[in-house]
Amino acid sequence: MDDTEANIARAPLPTDKTLRARKNLFIQFGRFLAINTKMLKIIRKEHR
Amino acid sequence: MARVVVLGGGIAGHTAALHLTRMLKRSDEVVVVTPNSNWNWIPSNIWVGVGKMKTDQVTFKLGPIYKRKGIEFHQALATAIHPEGGPQRPGPYIDVIYTDPARAGEHGELDYDYLVNATGPKLNFGATPGLGPDGHSYSVCTAGHAVDASAALQAAIQRMKKGERQVLVVGMGHGTCTCEGAAFEYAFNVEHEVRQAGVRDLADIVYLTNEYELGDFGVDGLTFTQQGFQTTSKLWTESLFRERGIRAITGAHVMSVEEGVVHYEQLDGSANSLFFDFAMLLPPFRGVDLHAYDADGADITDELFAPNGFMKVDADYSGKPFEEWRAEDWPSTYQVPRFPKIFAVGIAFAPPHQISRPRKSPSGTVISPSPPRTGMPSGIMGKLAATNIAEMIKHGDSAQIRTASMADMAAACVASAGSGLRQGSAASMTMYPVVPDLVKYPNTGRSLEDTFGEIGLSGHWIKLLLHYMFIYKGKARPGWHLIPE
Repeated sequence: MDDTEANIARAPLPTDKTLRARKNLFIQFGRFLAINTKMLKIIRKEHR
Repeated sequence: MARVVVLGGGIAGHTAALHLTRMLKRSDEVVVVTPNSNWNWIPSNIWVGVGKMKTDQVTFKLGPIYKRKGIEFHQALATAIHPEGGPQRPGPYIDVIYTDPARAGEHGELDYDYLVNATGPKLNFGATPGLGPDGHSYSVCTAGHAVDASAALQAAIQRMKKGERQVLVVGMGHGTCTCEGAAFEYAFNVEHEVRQAGVRDLADIVYLTNEYELGDFGVDGLTFTQQGFQTTSKLWTESLFRERGIRAITGAHVMSVEEGVVHYEQLDGSANSLFFDFAMLLPPFRGVDLHAYDADGADITDELFAPNGFMKVDADYSGKPFEEWRAEDWPSTYQVPRFPKIFAVGIAFAPPHQISRPRKSPSGTVISPSPPRTGMPSGIMGKLAATNIAEMIKHGDSAQIRTASMADMAAACVASAGSGLRQGSAASMTMYPVVPDLVKYPNTGRSLEDTFGEIGLSGHWIKLLLHYMFIYKGKARPGWHLIPE
């Protein structure tokens, strides 16, 4: 609550490298495949 | 021959109806009763709300699809259920009032053998004075609401371009709201749009929420593993708020909204006001106004529905204290105990309790998110009801009833944080189970293997992929049933 603003101010900021990785088309294409695989695993579990 | 009536044409109801058409015989009848003529992929409304999509990209007409699939379609509002029939009508039936312009206001009665209540929520703007499109704030709950929100946001951006500082408030319009994820998405999409418009320095963006802390999302937060450490959705979310410069006010119950000012109470009992130039505040949900009557015409609404209007199913509604909550309290078949041929799925079923820890302010105001049961869980429940009804029709008393409790159900959620094929981003999350099971997973209540979160451009691509996949599926195009819920 009142701590929320303080918590946000103390929260870790991503490094420039992380921010670049989040936008990098090659890395993100790899993550796209990896996350979809993770989600498919969850979905398969759901539809077993 | 059996006749299955589905109330509601949203994610749960539409999914149930489509699956029923392929699971039942041609001689069986599938009927959909819904007051709306359109289907809406609601998760994409946030993009309509920032002007990135148009209404016709997130909606389509239900009538032609139901005609093609052989579904009897009534554009009407269900008002009452008679599960035992009535004095003048022997079998179970429902009362409806038509909203179809050709029959507007006409009353009707529709017989059923099996009933799926997938009526979704009533958007309860009335719970907070001044809240909503008829008051002083905007909403993205419907495509139409989102269009209005987009126009107001663009007006605020134009004022900023003239040099005026603007306060943009996004969040929850009541202490018991659900769908915090949608408000979170909209806040970050607004920030993205303002930044793209080159006026970010003139925008004060405030996220106003009933969550006790950021990252709660109505599911008591998530814990997941990242680079060899356990981290929480709280820390992860706070980091994103810091990175994007969005302020947050948590533990807040909006008491009223006036022109340009929102009044709210917080969990510590303080009453505060926040002035704004633009506000998108989601309403709390309650069940639609359905009534129920027995064979003699006596009102049995209280037996079938909880006080919040949601339908009571095979859950434990004894109102146990938080410490005694168990995974088994949650329903698994979504059948009404006294009338097992009635199912309530999606938002329409009454949850036995919250998922987030319940909290009250010193004055007794409940400020705690209601359990989310939209999206993937809604679709799974809709398919489950269809599967079990088909099984009951085929095998009668020897039917093998399947289960899908939210305490044993996974969910995948992609929360947009800005659109654009190269500049977009989103938080991709999965959780298993949705309702924490502290007996099975004593540390965090969820499987660390199946619960994860990640932010990046790839999340935006996934959300866009889901948009097109579910529109395709909703239109019942070839192979639609191969797309999972």
